[in-house]
Amino acid sequence: MHIRHRLELIIERMATRRACNILEAAGLTGYTVLPALSGYGRGNHWNRDTDLSAAGDMVVIVSVGSAGAIETALAQLEALLSAHIGVLNVSEVKVLRPDRF
Amino acid sequence: MDIAFATLLSPMVLFFLLGLCAALLKSQMSIPEAFAKGLAIYLMMSIGLKGGVEMSKNALGQDVVLVMLSGIALSFLLPIIAFALLRATSRLERTDAAAVAAHYGSISIVTFVAAGQAVEAAGLVTSGYLVAVAAMMEVPAIISALMIVYRRGQKDSAIAGAERGELAQEVLLNASVVVLIGSLVIGWLTGAHGMERIAPFFVEPFQGVLCLFLLDMGLSAGRGLRNGWRLLGPATIGFGLYMPLISACLAAGLALLNRMPAGDAALLITLAASSSYIAVPAAMRLALPKAKPAIYLTLSLGITFPFNLIIGLPLYIWLAELVTR
Repeated sequence: MHIRHRLELIIERMATRRACNILEAAGLTGYTVLPALSGYGRGNHWNRDTDLSAAGDMVVIVSVGSAGAIETALAQLEALLSAHIGVLNVSEVKVLRPDRF
Repeated sequence: MDIAFATLLSPMVLFFLLGLCAALLKSQMSIPEAFAKGLAIYLMMSIGLKGGVEMSKNALGQDVVLVMLSGIALSFLLPIIAFALLRATSRLERTDAAAVAAHYGSISIVTFVAAGQAVEAAGLVTSGYLVAVAAMMEVPAIISALMIVYRRGQKDSAIAGAERGELAQEVLLNASVVVLIGSLVIGWLTGAHGMERIAPFFVEPFQGVLCLFLLDMGLSAGRGLRNGWRLLGPATIGFGLYMPLISACLAAGLALLNRMPAGDAALLITLAASSSYIAVPAAMRLALPKAKPAIYLTLSLGITFPFNLIIGLPLYIWLAELVTR
């Protein structure tokens, strides 16, 4: 097994394209977008299906890559999160096929 | 008074109230998200088609163009008034106030649909072109609100990852604009003959589908209120109740100037008095992401929409009859 970095970004749905653009530009070879159902933060509860516009929906973006690519993405994602609602964390993971990341 | 009771006791409003109460009482009842979106598309297709068929019966005259221009002018003007009122009376920050203002300049297509039913029940006749006016009033308010925020060079630096033209794409090609305009054109091209073939699907079940949709809207409004009411102060809640009345009076003045018939005037007044909760929230998340969505969504969906549906509609019909007498 080989060590790589896993980036997990919970962000509002409307900013998904922006976040994915940053990941692609940073050289990450892949990512997965998942819908988030509901949550709680800063004293507020939120639900996926509260309004028809889906403007309040959140998604989870997961990407695994090299430390360098993740570092490159982080600077831009920090700027993105200064405008959009979201939470980001990075952790170390072990992968089976290192050439894919 | 008769119109008020008839509206309040209509199945549409009662189903809305059922959803609202269920959500406020924390009932687990819900309508699947994809199904609710399908219902919204069905309703927009239906009113677009009906509007297009009505338009195909008469040539578009100068009076129609003047009403369309009036609608666009209202959509540009209302956010400026709304922003000034919010800044003067509430503690909302500049960006939050501008985002809220954009919602009150744009329109709610569901309120428009409900108004169409109430106007029909009141025995008034409407023209199809008001659907086109509705579609035209969606976008100018967004531009107006962005001009308020970005004036005097206050524009933020570009947001990381943003693409050129993404806001224009969201605003001009969002589902409600595409479906409404597209259905209107299809209805206009195919006329009454084309409509006959699809009437069993788009005309007869319309009111039942509207009840189902309003049940979901009631649930959404109740959930929004339950989660977001803490962010709204008394001044902001008050704004959600008096702003529709100001907009209605301005639209009534334009209806009088344009010598519109009572049914059309009632629809124009309703459009002006309604606030968006589909097209504008999405646009605001892209254009003004620092504005708090819980404020503008709760205000628009939890305060103004129920107010318009329960109290506003009979009031707007009465106002329309008054100015067109």
